[in-house]
Amino acid sequence: MHKILIVDDDHDLLEGQKAFLEGKGYEIRAAGSMDEGLEMLKSFTPNLILVDLMMEHYDTGFVFCQKVRNNPELSAVPILMQTAARQQLGFTLDLYDEKARSWMKVEEVLTKPVPLDDLAEKIEQYLSR
Amino acid sequence: MMNDGLRVIVVDDEEGMREGMRRVLERSSFRVDLAENGEEAIKLLKANAYDLALVDLKMPGIDGFEVTRYINETLGRHTVVVIVSALATVEAAMEVTRQGAFDFLVKPFTPKDLQRVVDRAVKQRTLILERDKYLTELDSERNLSHQLINSMHEGVIVLNINREPVLMNPKAESFLSVRYHAQLRLEELAFSEEILSYIDDIFGSQPPKEEIRVRWERMAERMLAIRVNPYLRDEQNAGVIIILADVTSEWEAEQDKLRFISMVAHELKSPIAAILNYVNIILTGMFDNQVEKIHEMLERSKIRGEALLDLIRDLLFLNQSAAGKVEKSIERLELKAILKEQLEFFQAQADRTGVRLLIESTDSECPVKVDRKDLDRIFMNLISNGIKYNRKGGTLTLAVEQNNEEVIVHARDTGFGMSGKEMEGLFEEFYRVKNPNTSGIPGTGLGLATVKRIVSEYNGGIRVDSDPGKGTTFTVTLPRA
Repeated sequence: MHKILIVDDDHDLLEGQKAFLEGKGYEIRAAGSMDEGLEMLKSFTPNLILVDLMMEHYDTGFVFCQKVRNNPELSAVPILMQTAARQQLGFTLDLYDEKARSWMKVEEVLTKPVPLDDLAEKIEQYLSR
Repeated sequence: MMNDGLRVIVVDDEEGMREGMRRVLERSSFRVDLAENGEEAIKLLKANAYDLALVDLKMPGIDGFEVTRYINETLGRHTVVVIVSALATVEAAMEVTRQGAFDFLVKPFTPKDLQRVVDRAVKQRTLILERDKYLTELDSERNLSHQLINSMHEGVIVLNINREPVLMNPKAESFLSVRYHAQLRLEELAFSEEILSYIDDIFGSQPPKEEIRVRWERMAERMLAIRVNPYLRDEQNAGVIIILADVTSEWEAEQDKLRFISMVAHELKSPIAAILNYVNIILTGMFDNQVEKIHEMLERSKIRGEALLDLIRDLLFLNQSAAGKVEKSIERLELKAILKEQLEFFQAQADRTGVRLLIESTDSECPVKVDRKDLDRIFMNLISNGIKYNRKGGTLTLAVEQNNEEVIVHARDTGFGMSGKEMEGLFEEFYRVKNPNTSGIPGTGLGLATVKRIVSEYNGGIRVDSDPGKGTTFTVTLPRA
């Protein structure tokens, strides 16, 4: 069974996506903050990470990705980033731009609310690589 | 012709000539001094300011040429010189005008001839006086514009047609960290490519465009607005005028507004995203045989939907009060009675979450002068927080006390409490403490910001003390009526 970590400070999005992806047969861990997510990663090695960009009004998701990539064990785990707005605070560049993605160190940037089919499809796509 | 007060010096070595001219001139109301040779003339010219000089050309010692030269070189053309001489040649006439004489009178002459020449000289003298006056005015005008430019808040730089800086006011010097000197070159001002191409456009007679804004790293991150205008002289391009204005505070206010709008957008989008997500999951049908799960999701959607309504209501209130559209009806109110009403209102919610509501107060009345709606808004927020962030079986106590000046309410809960770090920014808009205890608790992030704003409108205050794991106390003080 593939393992997925979801990090989102919105309790309901977290619960919803957890329920949905569990229903799809994945093993899910859900973290409500960056710190909680990093803590979970100490004992849980996911095959994919779903992370929110703006948490508590900061680009905490970005910081989270940098920390994950610094860990050699996790440097190759695909990360899908979710965000509610195309242009976020403090960012003047387009998050959908390839350069931005490599700078953020993520595979994809998805706009919230991510349609469930798209989410399932993207996840399947990265997990089957 | 009235020549009152105009002073004339007549220089001639023939006494008959001198006296003859004096008579004619005095008849025309001139004040006349006589000199019988060049030396005497110079002595008089040194001592007095003359409007006209009638100078004989041929004199022993210092001649008429030299007197004329003296007048022009030391007195600077202020005295109009007419040469009087028997040498009526074209060459001689040309020579004396080269020396700076205005006119030439040939001996012998009639009183009428003299009169005519003197009249012309007086006209010339008037012209000179007018020109001097104009020049003085121009000079003081220049002085005024100089002072104006130097006292401007904007930096001003003028480049001539060769792109050399020819003027820089002190403000521009401070913006550019460069001292002006005559050999200063444009490159030394270290303008960015963007500014230089703007300057090029104006030199290239492009129509003036709107100002550009640049982050000015030379001065601790200021924001400057830069405008370049053509500098025209006689409708010809003579250079450009560059104006630098510090717009940092305007810019910061704009940024704050943008940040706020961006936060609002995010806060509005989040509950909708959460609700849609639940609805979409339900619609997949994957939980069709788990009704409990579906109900749970619907319950959460309802909570988020209600919170969204609250947020919109709070935003509208914030907007109205920022626009000063909320009319206040200030009245004297007894605070304890109102707090009791409020607690009753929240009783049902408190029962559901298992929180006991208590009030502690003295018997004496606690009067405040406020708008009832504002008072409700303050305590509804605090009571609602005290219930939401409490634990089952906990209490929320409103303790009311007062002194001569103030009425003080402590809203003391036995909830999760907050760490010092979590309390930073607690009264800022959209700030919400996020930790495992608070996740899933709906809130707009505007409640405490609104309370703080209202309380300060009444010259009151709000303070928070918290002990993580034990509880939080908000203390509100309002002036006693």
